[in-house]
Amino acid sequence: MEAALLGFAQWLDAAGVGPWAKGSAWVYPFVNSVHLLGLVMLVGGIGVVDLRLAGLWRDLPAAALSRALTPVALVGLALLVLSGTVLFAADGAALARSTTFHRKLVLIALALGNALLFRMIWQRRVEAGGEIPPLIGRASAVASLVMWLAVGTLGRLIAYS
Amino acid sequence: MTRITLFAAALAISIPAAALAHHGWSSYDESKPLTVTGKLQSVAWSNPHGSATMRWQGKQWNVVLAPVARMEARGLTSAMIDKGQTVTLTGYARKDGTPEMRIERIQAGGKTVELR
Repeated sequence: MEAALLGFAQWLDAAGVGPWAKGSAWVYPFVNSVHLLGLVMLVGGIGVVDLRLAGLWRDLPAAALSRALTPVALVGLALLVLSGTVLFAADGAALARSTTFHRKLVLIALALGNALLFRMIWQRRVEAGGEIPPLIGRASAVASLVMWLAVGTLGRLIAYS
Repeated sequence: MTRITLFAAALAISIPAAALAHHGWSSYDESKPLTVTGKLQSVAWSNPHGSATMRWQGKQWNVVLAPVARMEARGLTSAMIDKGQTVTLTGYARKDGTPEMRIERIQAGGKTVELR
């Protein structure tokens, strides 16, 4: 993973993103704030849907809640990917060697895989008004929330590892 | 069962990272401030924080500076700490013996600049 990340960092440097993020006084702090906003939207959006699907707040219609909040989470995810790329570009060589960052990327892949699987298997049932999916679907919803929170925690820990 | 397994897996992934942490403020020995004068060998005027290297007591030291925005706000410029400039650094060394200093204050170009 280190070699691939180093290659990506070099590509970002050559494309001018690295020098821009490293050298500007305001880019890094601003993009850092956008990254945090993205996390708030992702966890705040999908976390509420996750808790509903896991069995909380059963008087709220699951399908309508999911329709309202999933797009919020997706916009948050897009902000995270874009801002994360800029933050990575500023410190690519160090991040490429960071085990904590590697773990974070693996966990993001697992969380995205979990979300896609959930949609493939349970979405139609939720849309049809099936109030909560069976135990395995509920486990997937809980896992989603836990994994995204762990991703955020790992992100914060990069600076301390 | 699956829920517990997934939860345990997520925790297992995040906990070793915490155990490995060593770059935080607590990893520098604040009881022994160092003041070092020397030539900067390489300087990165960069985010998330600037960094430089300096030879001192036979070792190549990694010098941890502050974020670009803060250095600029306090009146430090990249020209003042260019490679080859002689500067005086006051800071703390890593407790674990790694030759790395976190800089509190820098004297460069006739100016004293606080970095914390």
